[in-house]
Amino acid sequence: MGAEVITVSTDTKFVHLAWQREEKMLKDVTYPMGADPTGKVSRMFGVYDEATGLALRGTFIISPEGKLLNSEVNFYNMGRNIDELIRKFKANLHLAKHANEGCPSKWKEEGDKTLKPSAKMVGKVYEAYEGK
Amino acid sequence: MSETCCLQVGQDVPDFKLETFEPTKGDFGETSLETLKANKKWTILLFYPADFTFV
Repeated sequence: MGAEVITVSTDTKFVHLAWQREEKMLKDVTYPMGADPTGKVSRMFGVYDEATGLALRGTFIISPEGKLLNSEVNFYNMGRNIDELIRKFKANLHLAKHANEGCPSKWKEEGDKTLKPSAKMVGKVYEAYEGK
Repeated sequence: MSETCCLQVGQDVPDFKLETFEPTKGDFGETSLETLKANKKWTILLFYPADFTFV
């Protein structure tokens, strides 16, 4: 996909190794598994749960310049939707090249309609989006 | 709340370092935002509660 994916929990790298080797669901995992036993990085992103010492299910996209562009946090009991993550990542790639455009909620991939905010569009987003 | 909890979308992320286990190498490694930026990489961080649970 063109991004460095890093998974992070407050487990140590030793536990990551043991888990990846033991759990058959993880046999095809290729991404680095980050260890944050002190919770320092988890705290930086606001996902550290002081009560449990664990990290909430946070998803963050950072640009090559180091800017935080997307943030999503789920509670422990809800998984993430990978399709939405890929949509956000593709939209970031598009917007990095087309800074004057916006990707609307229905934007899914390159080629889909974007919007260029302007005074003319105020109150006329429907017409701009539907081309009417 | 801790004072370092206030990173918001649109802000520059302070440098961070993480020790890693790298399944492709079967070895330990290290990564940092500084390195990722130097390599012009987009970074996706996926936090989860704990190993040996469902992700």
